[in-house]
Amino acid sequence: MNESLIIARQEFSDGITSKRFWAIVALFFVLYVATGYVTTSIFRVAGFTESRGLLQTASSVASTMTLMAPILGIALAFDAISGERERGTLKVLLSRPIYREHVINGKIVSALALIGLTITVSSLLSISASILLQGASVALDDVVRVLLFIILSILFSFAYYSMSLFISTFSNRSSHSLTISLGVWIFFAFILSVLGSLIAYAVIGPAPAMSFSPGFNQTEGGRQASEAFLNYSRKVAEISSTVQAVSINYHYSSIANSLFVTSVGPFGQQAQQIDLMSLLSSRWIDLLVVAVFPVIFLGASYFAFTRRQEK
Amino acid sequence: MSFAIETKDLVKVYKDGKAEIRALDGVDMRVPKGSVYGFFGPNGSGKTTMISILVGLLLPTSGHAKVLGHDAIRESVEIRRRVGLLPEGFGLYEHMTALENLTFLGMLDDLAPDRARSKALKVLEDVGLRDRVNAKVSAFSRGMKQRLGMAQALLKDPELLLLDEPTVGIDPDGAAEFRGIVRRINSEGKTVLMSTHLLHEIGMLCTHAAVIRKGKLLAQGSVDELSQPVRATRGYGYEIQVKSGGEALLQEVKHLPETKEAELRNGRLVVVANSDIGSALFSLVAKGQYQIESLTPVNPSWDDVYQFYERGE
Repeated sequence: MNESLIIARQEFSDGITSKRFWAIVALFFVLYVATGYVTTSIFRVAGFTESRGLLQTASSVASTMTLMAPILGIALAFDAISGERERGTLKVLLSRPIYREHVINGKIVSALALIGLTITVSSLLSISASILLQGASVALDDVVRVLLFIILSILFSFAYYSMSLFISTFSNRSSHSLTISLGVWIFFAFILSVLGSLIAYAVIGPAPAMSFSPGFNQTEGGRQASEAFLNYSRKVAEISSTVQAVSINYHYSSIANSLFVTSVGPFGQQAQQIDLMSLLSSRWIDLLVVAVFPVIFLGASYFAFTRRQEK
Repeated sequence: MSFAIETKDLVKVYKDGKAEIRALDGVDMRVPKGSVYGFFGPNGSGKTTMISILVGLLLPTSGHAKVLGHDAIRESVEIRRRVGLLPEGFGLYEHMTALENLTFLGMLDDLAPDRARSKALKVLEDVGLRDRVNAKVSAFSRGMKQRLGMAQALLKDPELLLLDEPTVGIDPDGAAEFRGIVRRINSEGKTVLMSTHLLHEIGMLCTHAAVIRKGKLLAQGSVDELSQPVRATRGYGYEIQVKSGGEALLQEVKHLPETKEAELRNGRLVVVANSDIGSALFSLVAKGQYQIESLTPVNPSWDDVYQFYERGE
């Protein structure tokens, strides 16, 4: 049997039987239920009685995925190399008549299988359960969107896996690797959006004066003030988006949310669902980033690991 | 004499920021085939670095190393096919059973799954772990882990075994069992290189040894060859257990031309000479005037040998 496959099979078996893996799977389902409940409540409060059950559920799955996919990727990668090094097993592994490429290939293949399995099964299960409970109708377009969403989510999780694997190849301690990986995730997921807003405020200054008193919008001055406020908000959003463009989370969220009707517009209108082909052609940069990010870090991990020496 | 390992002017430099650490500094080492070779030196002297280079885990900064006739840089995979490594700490998968560990590693040694399993059972039997095949490694004592580590190194039926500090932290019974395993392996014609910082291990197990300090090889050779200069400098020692006529024997011994010191205490005559006077002493006691229990040469201790080379006497 190919050496990479021997390692991949062992890694997969270790992963699927580990408590860490099942804890993350459990967290996935808890969050699916919680976000599903919140999303349904929002739709109900907003007064949407028309049945778009599948996409409502899918949008709650998307919210969960934005949070959990990176955690899954990091959990599988942070000690993939550093843990072997820390426990001394890497030396025993590398004392066999194999190449270092076999070790990293085996780990990547098994991680891809675990990520694919977790995301596919959990997404399909939660969406199917929702369809059964709500009795929602499913169109072919919906199915294609869900499948596309699953592929994107696997790539997103795999991007964090490859980033954390890269860190793991350099670390001698898993705790260091985990800390750095989580730091990167927190920066991209939470800090960068705050930073984007702060930079926007620093660049264009404070918001124009605006009154929300009844009847204000009907006056000439009120209309001008509303217009100015909307322009200001658009500029803030533009600058913030530009800053966040370095983050894969931003690109993944943008395209995942575009796939589903996820929110109610600022003036009460439901966001329009765009035709799938138009969506893909307008969001090609997001697609490209989500696809290229893991490739870059896998290449870097591969390069770093195969050239590293083990004392 | 053919050698299992030959290194020529081997240098390894680690960079730590701007500082450079010469872990190996021009090492010429020759490990004869079929020997049990003790690689002795204090912690941080370069022993692990040397072993890592020999199996291709590290690249030397300069110099050459040949293992079983293969170049350690260009043919490391071929070397790893024929060499077993027991690293310090043993490097076992704690969450797996003994059999799972060995079957997995055996498959990486190019054995088919069934063959890997049967070979694993065989080596587990050889190291005395047959009754623990399905026990998780995390439940093993350190001594059992050491034997399991030895088993994984033996899986590929290697011609050369590299053991890095194998007896550290092992209790005396475990260490004795381990020595038994090494002797048996060596009797099958396999070469064993064992790094250690415990001097007594060399005396108990090794046919050859090398002393390394701060990356420099201070001496190497057979145990006898290493002891010879120490004897020549510090004297040849003998011990005679005397039953009767001790005083008279003492006087005769003192009159031998090469005798340096002689002392009789509680029926034990200790002699130090400038050269080998073993046969002269034997002739004396064989005359039958004295009743003795034993006449034995006293070899310098490994502590003496190490001190001798370490101080460059």
